[in-house]
Amino acid sequence: MPLNIDIVQILLHMLNFVILAGGLTLLLFKPVKKFMADRKQYFEDKEKEIAEGLKENESLKAEYEQKLSGVDAEIEEMRLNAKNETATAAKEYINNAQEKASAIISEAEQQAEERKDHILDSAQTEIGELVVEATQKLLESNATPQKTHELYDEFIKSMVRDAQ
Amino acid sequence: MKKISKRRAVFIVVWLFLIFLLLGLIIMLKEPPGETESIKELMKDGVLHDKNKISLFGILDVNPALISAYVVTAILLIAAVFIRIFAIPKFKTVPGKFQIVIEKLVEFFDDMAKGNSPHRTGFIAAYIFSAGVYIFFSTLFELFGLQGVTTEGHSIALPAPIADINAALAMGVLTYVMILVSGIVCNGVKGGLKVLKDFSLPISMSFRLFGALLSGLLVTELVYHYIFLSFVLPVLVGILFTALHALIQTYVLATLASTFYGEAVEPHHKKAKEEKNKNK
Repeated sequence: MPLNIDIVQILLHMLNFVILAGGLTLLLFKPVKKFMADRKQYFEDKEKEIAEGLKENESLKAEYEQKLSGVDAEIEEMRLNAKNETATAAKEYINNAQEKASAIISEAEQQAEERKDHILDSAQTEIGELVVEATQKLLESNATPQKTHELYDEFIKSMVRDAQ
Repeated sequence: MKKISKRRAVFIVVWLFLIFLLLGLIIMLKEPPGETESIKELMKDGVLHDKNKISLFGILDVNPALISAYVVTAILLIAAVFIRIFAIPKFKTVPGKFQIVIEKLVEFFDDMAKGNSPHRTGFIAAYIFSAGVYIFFSTLFELFGLQGVTTEGHSIALPAPIADINAALAMGVLTYVMILVSGIVCNGVKGGLKVLKDFSLPISMSFRLFGALLSGLLVTELVYHYIFLSFVLPVLVGILFTALHALIQTYVLATLASTFYGEAVEPHHKKAKEEKNKNK
């Protein structure tokens, strides 16, 4: 063969390379590639995990912020409610007090009226008694049967006149 | 103290220089112990490997490059076994220096495979990784100058495996066959025909490797043949024709193999168009 080309030696070189290629692939290339792929996967998972954590934190933050802003509004609402309730209670209290006061006043007025009536009644009775007594005394001193009749007639006439 | 140490350093440098100068002169002026090979024979043997053969376990007389190839394979596989057993299980999430080197090596070929062949990258990545490691380390192998004994009883420095036309052809043809089979497996007969169209690939790939490595070998042989060129110059020659070739040839073969593989396994355009129409 030209250039000293030898088929057997070419095949021996091929055999040599096939052995080497198989050995290197199994012993070095694949294990190292697998290690690198695993490491890549590990970091990707970690990155994913961190990203998810961040997302969760963001949503929690947003939720808390929303809650905080809601709390302000809630506090404001509660304050207004409390104010309204206080105002209503105060109004009610004042109304009650006024009602009570007017009841007391009317009761007092009634009592005063009753007392006045009672006093007037007793005064009239007393005056009547005094008048009767005085009249009796007067009559006892100047009494004649005629005069007595005239006085009774006159009293009845005045009573009738008053009644009219 | 400083003065004494400086003086001592100067003394050591001068002393060593004198020793090497005298040794060099003695070697150069000494009569050679009978030339074993003329430069013409050496160059011819460098290209054709028709003279110096080494016995492969007494079965077959082979070119020294084949022995080099098996030695390189043995060293690489033993190193791989050690790395697999002792280093890889201790790999950490934050890598150390050695781990970075190994990972970068794998990542480099994997990325190259993905870049040049976006479809079915797993197989070609492993292939170009193995080919790259083999070519790189087998090219550097000649720097160690391991000795072998020829069938004629001469001592010979084991050359880089790819400097032998048989090894270069083996790599080129194997790569081509791998691409052809992958094309047929992925795209059927049409894929195979597409690869067959590039029939010059194994020849160009083989001879590129062979030519590049052989030129380095010849220059190195030439330099080593003349003893007075053996000072300082081999360092430059070694770096220029070995280390650079190792890197360049590794890169070239890996790129070519992954590019042609990518073309061969690429899904058929008609199918892609039909899929597009279906999607529409």
